[in-house]
Amino acid sequence: MSDFEEHVNLDRIELTVRELLTEMKDISEVVVDLAYASLMYNSQDMAEKVRELEEEIDDLKYAIRIKLLLAARTREDAKQLSGILQVASAADRISEAAGDIVKLLGVPLEKRPFISNMLNESEEKIRMTKIMPPSDMAGNTIEDLAVEACTGVKIIAVRNRHGWVYDPEDDLKLRTGDDIIVRGTQDGFEHLLEFTTGKLPWEFPENDNDEEYARGEDL
Amino acid sequence: MNRLESMLLDLKDTSEFMIDLAYSSLLYNNSEIAEEVVFLEKRMDELSGQIQDMTVSLGKENPEEIARFLVILRLQMAIEDIADAAASIADVVLRGLGQHPVIQMSIQESEVTIEMAKVSDDSIMAEKSLGEMRLSTHCGMFVIAIKRNNMYIYGPGKDTIIKAGDTLIARGPEEGADFFLGLAEGSEKEF
Repeated sequence: MSDFEEHVNLDRIELTVRELLTEMKDISEVVVDLAYASLMYNSQDMAEKVRELEEEIDDLKYAIRIKLLLAARTREDAKQLSGILQVASAADRISEAAGDIVKLLGVPLEKRPFISNMLNESEEKIRMTKIMPPSDMAGNTIEDLAVEACTGVKIIAVRNRHGWVYDPEDDLKLRTGDDIIVRGTQDGFEHLLEFTTGKLPWEFPENDNDEEYARGEDL
Repeated sequence: MNRLESMLLDLKDTSEFMIDLAYSSLLYNNSEIAEEVVFLEKRMDELSGQIQDMTVSLGKENPEEIARFLVILRLQMAIEDIADAAASIADVVLRGLGQHPVIQMSIQESEVTIEMAKVSDDSIMAEKSLGEMRLSTHCGMFVIAIKRNNMYIYGPGKDTIIKAGDTLIARGPEEGADFFLGLAEGSEKEF
């Protein structure tokens, strides 16, 4: 077993099947967006992140296989667990396709001008914007803002003073001057621009605690 | 965009839509939706074939542009892989192997969640088009299918009118889900 342990990321084995599958699904969705975005912005850096995520899904895939094989006790168990395995494999295939997409970065830019045109016409587009000084989005985390719920566009990358962060965590704080790359509809992007330029104040999602506090003050 | 590029775009948009539908079929263990994914996969195969034929004949006519055409083929193959992955998820449902509760829990807990909501008589969505509602912009939820009188409308457009009694299937962030459900139920009245 020792050889095998050297090659498998054991942190992943600690996760439950449910957590592993959730993570694989999440990665498989964002990795495709990042792959297209890397072509759009001609970014090797972003392509590198895609390759990292592809490797991460590989680790997760082995971890979930091991867990599922250990969990099968009966024929009926095995049948239903095979369904989970198939879904995990699909997530892996998607990430491999994303890996193939970023390989196109190796082709000189003038040989692939249509890719950006095509992505600009896509139903869900990839766009970049900056958090401008008057915007009150600055100083808040992606989670506080619930950006996707409020605008319909999802932040897939942020450039702050430390450099680029791809597939940022929800607790990442946005600051004035940050560039953000988002994925979503044109309508959603235009709505986002009203906030990033400071034209509209951010509509913070209602917080139950605040409400209770406010009510207390009335009394 | 020329014809080849718009075919490739169709391929890309459909592949992403198929993933959403495939996860929905899995979440609700719904073989009708799974069948639609399989149907779309066949359409993708045809479209891929057409793209390949056209690319090859254009390549013959413009040999100096061959590198560009190769990029189109490589992209087409990657997109087709994504569509195949979606079909393989739908296949789990069609074989009756998608019933393990872990599957449903994983989808519900993921960053992109899927919700199903019935539009009540007093919902403000009733008799409005999806374009008027701008659901995605207001709560992040993107309607991928509508069930009406036991028939599904897949990939509804801006002009599709929502009717009371419709069941909407939408994907989006968890934070947008409650608002979407409230709008359909009729408890949320404004944006």
